Amino acid sequence: MKPYRYERAEDISGAISALADEPEGAFLGGGTNIVDLMKLGVSTPDVLVDVRRLMSDDIEETEDGGVRIGAAVPNSDLAADPTIRTRYPALSEALLSGASGQLRNMATTGGNFLQRTRCVYFQDTTTPCNKREPGSGCSALDGYNKNHAILGSSEHCVATHPSDMAVAMAALDAFVVTHGPNGERRIPIEELHRLPGDEPERDTILEHGELITAVELPPMGFSSNSKYRKVRERASYAFALVSVAAAMDVEDGVVRDVRVALGGVAHKPWRATKVEEALRGEPVSEENFRAAAEIELSEAEPLSENAYKVPLARNVMVRTLSDLSGEGR
Amino acid sequence: MRQRLAGHSVPFLPPGMVSGFEFQEKHMFGDRQFAEGRMFAFPSHYLKGDGFMDAEITLRVDGEEHRLTVDTRTTILDALRESIGNTSPKKGCDHGQCGACTVLLDGRRVNSCLTLAVAHDGAEVTTSEGLSENGELHPMHRSFMEHDAFQCGYCTPGQIVSAVGMLDEVEAGWTSHATEDGENVSLSDEEIRERMSGNLCRCAAYANMLPAIKEVSDR
Amino acid sequence: MKAESAPTRERPKILPSNPGKIGESRPRADGVPKVRGEFEYSSDLRVDGMLWGATLRSPHPHANIWSIDTAEAEDMPGVYSVLTHEDVPGRKVYGMEVPDQPVLAWEHVRYEGEPIAVVAADHPETARRALEKIAVDYEILDPITDPAEALREDTPKLHLSGNVLKEVHIKHGDVEATADVVVSGEYEVGMQDQAFLGPESGMAVPDGRGGVDLFISTQWLHIDRDQIAESLDLPPEDVRLTLSGVGGAFGGREDLSMQIHSCMLALDAGRPVKMMYNREESFYGHVHRHPCKMEYEHGADREGNLVYVKARLVFDGGAYASSSNAVCLNAGTFACGPYDVPNARIDSYMLYTNNPPCGAMRGFGAVQVCFAHETQMDKLANKLGMNPVELRLKNAMKPGDKFPFGQTVPEPAPVAEILERVENMPMPEEEEIIGRDLRRLPGGVSNVTRGEGVKRGVGYAVGYKNIGFSAGFDDYSTASIALSVEDGEPIIYVHTAAAEVGQGGVTLQAQISRTELGVENVAVLPADTRIGSAGSTSASRQSYVTGGAVKMACEAVRGKVFERVREEFGDEFGGELSMEDGSVLAGNRRIVALAELLENGGIEETVVYRHKPTYPLDENGQGDAHFQFAFAAHRAVVEVDEELGLVRVVEIATAQDVGKIMNPQSLEGQIQGGVAQGLGLALLEEIQMKDGKVQNASFTDYLLPTILDMPPVRMEVLELADPDSPYGLKGVGEPPTISSTPAIVAALRDATGRELNRVPVKPEQLAGIEGEPIRRAPQPGSRGPVADDLGSEA
Repeated sequence: MKPYRYERAEDISGAISALADEPEGAFLGGGTNIVDLMKLGVSTPDVLVDVRRLMSDDIEETEDGGVRIGAAVPNSDLAADPTIRTRYPALSEALLSGASGQLRNMATTGGNFLQRTRCVYFQDTTTPCNKREPGSGCSALDGYNKNHAILGSSEHCVATHPSDMAVAMAALDAFVVTHGPNGERRIPIEELHRLPGDEPERDTILEHGELITAVELPPMGFSSNSKYRKVRERASYAFALVSVAAAMDVEDGVVRDVRVALGGVAHKPWRATKVEEALRGEPVSEENFRAAAEIELSEAEPLSENAYKVPLARNVMVRTLSDLSGEGR
Repeated sequence: MRQRLAGHSVPFLPPGMVSGFEFQEKHMFGDRQFAEGRMFAFPSHYLKGDGFMDAEITLRVDGEEHRLTVDTRTTILDALRESIGNTSPKKGCDHGQCGACTVLLDGRRVNSCLTLAVAHDGAEVTTSEGLSENGELHPMHRSFMEHDAFQCGYCTPGQIVSAVGMLDEVEAGWTSHATEDGENVSLSDEEIRERMSGNLCRCAAYANMLPAIKEVSDR
Repeated sequence: MKAESAPTRERPKILPSNPGKIGESRPRADGVPKVRGEFEYSSDLRVDGMLWGATLRSPHPHANIWSIDTAEAEDMPGVYSVLTHEDVPGRKVYGMEVPDQPVLAWEHVRYEGEPIAVVAADHPETARRALEKIAVDYEILDPITDPAEALREDTPKLHLSGNVLKEVHIKHGDVEATADVVVSGEYEVGMQDQAFLGPESGMAVPDGRGGVDLFISTQWLHIDRDQIAESLDLPPEDVRLTLSGVGGAFGGREDLSMQIHSCMLALDAGRPVKMMYNREESFYGHVHRHPCKMEYEHGADREGNLVYVKARLVFDGGAYASSSNAVCLNAGTFACGPYDVPNARIDSYMLYTNNPPCGAMRGFGAVQVCFAHETQMDKLANKLGMNPVELRLKNAMKPGDKFPFGQTVPEPAPVAEILERVENMPMPEEEEIIGRDLRRLPGGVSNVTRGEGVKRGVGYAVGYKNIGFSAGFDDYSTASIALSVEDGEPIIYVHTAAAEVGQGGVTLQAQISRTELGVENVAVLPADTRIGSAGSTSASRQSYVTGGAVKMACEAVRGKVFERVREEFGDEFGGELSMEDGSVLAGNRRIVALAELLENGGIEETVVYRHKPTYPLDENGQGDAHFQFAFAAHRAVVEVDEELGLVRVVEIATAQDVGKIMNPQSLEGQIQGGVAQGLGLALLEEIQMKDGKVQNASFTDYLLPTILDMPPVRMEVLELADPDSPYGLKGVGEPPTISSTPAIVAALRDATGRELNRVPVKPEQLAGIEGEPIRRAPQPGSRGPVADDLGSEA
């Protein structure tokens, strides 16, 4: 591991300025991902600014009926929160389907968004990887790519985003609140993460030194009818092959509104807007769900080893939507 | 007998200590001369020149306070094993993928291999060794023994600490992915299995861990 | 004994107590330090002034080495020793059976991760950095990664002896026999890892007189010692090994890892050197289970009587020999399964490739062929329209039949009985799928299914394997028993070199001694090389062979005790002498307390125990190659979500003949553990290789079963004594791994109707959604060359 300086700032603005002159510096939250990557030599910060104790670890209801989550709230606390469990069950389920009890106790809400890909080549500094070392090439394109992206990838990178939580957040229309050198901003989750394009080294649109300080879940009348479903090879403690977060508003057998996001299929939590558009106002039926899912997946570009993800994603979407609509039981 | 053993690298306890099980426990394995009271700290002088960073921290480990100078890169696992000499938590993967390094950090179970010591100055750390009180085994220790919930034993200290931390989480009403919608947390087999799935056991003594943990939770 | 998962039996209440006598369940003798974490594994060792060793490994699976420059590394402050092949004092190669593996590579590297240089420094980080300063000039060569390619005449040879490491040809009966009903198939088993939780580690301490002490986790101290001494050019007595705590083994510690390296460094630096692999390095640091491709043809008559079996087995041995020869032989001999097969032709090949060396893992060649022959039996049953269990029963081998390798099937061989037992065990309750507690649906508790499309399947398999070392190997164990008096109490000291790797061997040694000598206090001394070899803790052999040695040594001590009694008390007792409760009895009458009898000196006996001899196979693959056989049958019940490919193994039922239950609790643990590893191979575990390189050397990418993946195991254990073995016992560790894999896959086939000819089975295969990739134009340079001089973590 590369040596680095450890700093603890007085407050958020102090933390931000601490990184301003440190282009290779990074924030430290729970550390479960960055420490791992530092051990692998993938992340090589020269300064770590510890922000875990600076940020709120509160979960509070907002005046408009939404919920504001401090970025330092550990994943386990967020998953166990009664408000989240009843009003945003998909989020609680997503958190609990990820990692292990021990990791969830350490990992923070803010940090969870910023997990880096589990692509084996990204993690192995002896292989080419455009995300780790821009311009070096993509080993996964013709390599071991069964866990890689089928949507929105580029010739430069086919990695997937590993977070379960972020997929649920995407389906729940969440925003992250950030503080950075250029002040505060509020970013919809859909816009937080990027597709790789020709800059796969950038996972998000955050600027250097910009810190996620909170997450806001807006009120959503039907968010209590939400689910997170995850397919993995091992029954627990494994990353998703494919996952789906969805929320649905059904009345008299008709989909009034719906949110769907996919995990394990793209460089970011994949908001399945085509599914949503196709289903709004349509009658609840497995055929409709299937047809909508197929529209979304018609642009899928599977690799040598991951073509299975296309039908798998379709099947999980159909299952989850059927389940939410009451058709599945 | 004594003569025959002369020169053996395993030191012997006074004959008074000799009795069946206890005797074996103290004598069978390892080489105690390497364990007793010999602290080994990272020699760090040579690294200072290229950006080596030291920090002074305090950790309260198993009830005892330790002032340490650690390299900022040191994890709690390495601080315990290499600076403090507590090798109860094990290094099975060093990447948070096996659970063998599980400790209680301020009462919560965590993977000590992914936890930077410098970020937890002043923290309270409990290892399996420290679960014992007044030299008595913790109920979870006893239950693992009674149920033969281990074989090689490498993952065991981590399993035991994890199980103790997990029961506290249940006590606090935390649901798991195995908890059904709207259900109160009760410790069914499925709950225990889901909640303990972050601790791998290659010998697969799982079937015996289940009743071992259950028995402690029922008390 | 009948048991259904756990808890099934009154668990013994304990503490502190002793490990009882044979047949009893008692807490492990090493339990207290293990639960508290005070048990010292080799990774926990430390001593003042010790150095840390690290290994430079090849990033290439196949390359020529033109030069190795260590100058810069040697000049680093804190570095005490940098060694290459030039510094190996003695034999530059090692290997258990065939010494073909360089201690440190010269001229060639033949697999990714092959050690090239070792460094000792005063800090692990310094050692790692020193590795980065070693410049190696490689000429990268195309790796040979397909055993079929390695077998071809025109393929370059990886070793002077050629690419065929071993071939076994078994011709039994009429090899041209034909039959009315024929089924054939091609099967494949992926590369499984032992994945013991405690990575390789050890500490070497120079003795200042040119010799060295090594504290090490291993399966066999003496074979390590002999190989180390050979390469250090030292007499064996100057290389002393002591077993440290072993964090699991499963075959993966039978070959050397850092044993020679750490000793070389310690002797060169004149200081203790500790080496400890990390998890990634561990994947490169030990051998794996052989991947295997198998072509089978079974012929039967219309009633289902097997007429012939033809099999061609091609094993990937990887770059070096390890124990591949024996695996090749084992697989050949067990290729037909535990059936009475009148005619057989088996061709078993073991090839050198540029993949990682493969060697011992629980099941040792029997695992791969069992997957194939059991799949074939199901296919045959299907073609005949027979119940698969009925077909197996019809063909089950019996004592007196001939194995395809010519040996006579000995008593007991309860193949039919164990099959009937698993078939007759109650089935797990079939809960209504729709509306069921979601936690009991496939996918564990991730609940992606609500039960739609969930199908249940049931599958059976039976397998067998030899116990111990075979084919003429001089397989023995040494035990020393000392009976003396301390503080007025008799005490037994047991000393062997048998490695406790978690199987409970030390507990069993204490139980046997206590049983034989009737003395409560037993101390099992650390295993080391001061006593003769105990052989390997592998091949399910230690209970038999070292157990036999301990029993025999106890009998010798008992004989001496009785002699002494006769000397002092004459020999008119009116009853047989026996030892119980610390006294010598004649009939029920107490003659003398041991404390008194041995007051002026104890008794010590050292014995060497051998099982009956075995013989190599002749040119037709015939011979009495094995001395004991163990049989197990499994029934798996699974549920599969057909759309998502998710599996829930509902239950495994098993029946196994163990001869004699020595410790019920340990026995159950072995069966559970073996089943879990069989389940891992069926569903999860495979080292992914691309162009000779390991792609998934971590526990995130190589998935082991968790507590959530393990189903309840219902077990019935038979005690049909082996007349030749101590107490009639049979080895138990491996059979649970052998037939559990094919039973699970058979159940998956039953549920899905899919072929599933390869393990591990992937979700996409089960769901039939493997799909077609969209070919992209390959990106120029996307698989660019890997930097040549990168360090240890290849």
